[in-house]
Amino acid sequence: MDMVVSVIAATLGAGTPLIFAALGELVAEKSGVLNLGVEGMMLVGAIVAFITMRSTGDLWLGVAVAGVAGALMALLFAFATLTLQANQVAAGLALAIFGAGVSAFIGKGFVGVTLENRADAGLSLPIDIPLLSPLLHSLHPLVYVSWLLFAGVSWFLFRSRAGLVLRAVGESPASAHAVGYPVIRIRYLATLFGGAMAGIGGAYLSLVYAPLWLEGMVAGRGWIALALVVFATWRPARVMLGAYLFGGITIVQYFAQSAGVAFATQFMSMLPYLATIVVLVVISRDVAMIRLNAPVSLGKPFHPGV
Amino acid sequence: MRIVNRRDFLKASSSLGIAALGARALDAFAQDVLNVGVVHQYPIGEVGWETQHALGWKAMEAAFPGKVKVTVVADVQQAQDSERVFRELASQGNKLIFGTTFSHMAPMLKVARTAPNTHFDCCASVTTLKNMGAFEARNYEASYVAGVIAGRMTRSNTLGWVGAFPIPQTVWRMNGFMLGARSVNPKAVCNVVWINTWNDPAKEKDAVNALISQGADVLAGSPNTPVQGVAAEERGAWSIANCSDFSKFVPKKQLTGDIFDWRSAYIDSARDALAGTWKAQDRFRGLGEGGFCAMVPYNAAIPAEVVADAKQREKDIVSGKLKVFAGPLKDRDGKQRVAAGGSLSDKEIRSINWLVEGINGPFPKS
Repeated sequence: MDMVVSVIAATLGAGTPLIFAALGELVAEKSGVLNLGVEGMMLVGAIVAFITMRSTGDLWLGVAVAGVAGALMALLFAFATLTLQANQVAAGLALAIFGAGVSAFIGKGFVGVTLENRADAGLSLPIDIPLLSPLLHSLHPLVYVSWLLFAGVSWFLFRSRAGLVLRAVGESPASAHAVGYPVIRIRYLATLFGGAMAGIGGAYLSLVYAPLWLEGMVAGRGWIALALVVFATWRPARVMLGAYLFGGITIVQYFAQSAGVAFATQFMSMLPYLATIVVLVVISRDVAMIRLNAPVSLGKPFHPGV
Repeated sequence: MRIVNRRDFLKASSSLGIAALGARALDAFAQDVLNVGVVHQYPIGEVGWETQHALGWKAMEAAFPGKVKVTVVADVQQAQDSERVFRELASQGNKLIFGTTFSHMAPMLKVARTAPNTHFDCCASVTTLKNMGAFEARNYEASYVAGVIAGRMTRSNTLGWVGAFPIPQTVWRMNGFMLGARSVNPKAVCNVVWINTWNDPAKEKDAVNALISQGADVLAGSPNTPVQGVAAEERGAWSIANCSDFSKFVPKKQLTGDIFDWRSAYIDSARDALAGTWKAQDRFRGLGEGGFCAMVPYNAAIPAEVVADAKQREKDIVSGKLKVFAGPLKDRDGKQRVAAGGSLSDKEIRSINWLVEGINGPFPKS
């Protein structure tokens, strides 16, 4: 029983940074902006959150600062691609590399330092339900925030008028522009939101998950988040599924190793990637649905003057 | 001493190319100052692999005040960059140049062949040249002592190990740990989780949690970060530090640690270079005075007789009375590796690719 709780809790924890980054990126992509710089924005979020919490001891301030820093990184990207009309793929790759460098630079004096005070308390239920009570208690508050984010993004995109406009901008910016919506401004906001969420995903890694700073500690999770959005065919629920699947298989293979399952560990390390892609591709194999969900103008620049 | 990063270094060295030539001529007149170059692969942090090397060259500086001038280039991550940095350091008149990691071996070999009058020394190198030495720690000696403590302190008889990559340096350390634990607790086993990375703290934490959930109550491992100890302490489990002392981050539950101590590697090399008697050596040293590894001070919570036992083992290892890989020794598949009365040769240790009995879990052979 104890083991089941720890596997589930660890799975939820491992999926959380991916959820933040992927849901943020999903909103940006739904508006037609392809920002490949998620890894870089997460790294910057991770280091500024770490420095903030180390100097103030305030987790939520660290998270907020990481969100702002991620948004600032996204602002650079948005200025280059939306205002200056630079190529989104090239600018996004540049942002990823820039983020890796700038986070290493900012974090120069913090390599291998850890946090002394950590707030890890989860929810305490008034009644004692087996499995659920210890599970909820072991989760970090940011895990709950990620669920709220999922609910919020789903509601916003598919139930709110503003979300409808955002999706319209991602489908056909020219039409949206013709009916009078500020396409560029909406794309700016969506991109900034994506950056802020990536920053918070990074903050989760450096504050909660492994409370320390190491250069490149995001270790590819930004790229996984990007892939999740595509393989989940731009649907928030499938992003959640993919993130937890990825986290879950990572965790389960560690438990299997620790239990003495002697299998090529290189293969086991590969398994989360393989399984996540296979599952998401299989459940999303309906071509019509993919076409329906993929933002048509993804990655294409829009110039209101033309 | 000055620390420069790669960019500053390259900028300065290209703009001062000609000035450097002049400076070199002047250096020849400056009496007996040994210019030493040290290259680090990553930034020098508060703890970890790079930090232990920095303690080494700082001790060298302190040992020869005014006699050695150290130039440190940190954060040279790519092999092609380090080759250029080694070449620059050599052409700027550094007579003794240190590489701090296995990844420096290949670029250093290339440069050393073209700079016959410069002495090179590379940590964890497996090749030497006439002007390039190597140094490596027998840290299985220290991990054996840590294993003795782990074997006595475990209540569940289950130890946990977070593996990075299965290279001889991590395998011998793991085997030493298990042999130490079994020497005092024949029922002890060690579960292993391989994470296939040096540098992903989140995975280290996941691995520690998996090991603890399955009964491990003393954690050790290969990645050089405090994460394993921090994660173990959160769950109330003991841990063994690796590389550096992590007690600052793991204030309560760190039992001890087996760490690198490169001071004599740097000091001895500089002394020989100053005296003009430098010769390329392949130095492979363990515990003790002038050794390359050491124990972290023992946790006050360890019972006195356990500490006394551990200290006795340290002494016996240093005196040669206790050999970690002494026969009869079988691997975990039951194959005899060392006959009774014998022990593994250095060559066998340095190419070790099998695990001793008691270590459970997969073994990704390299």
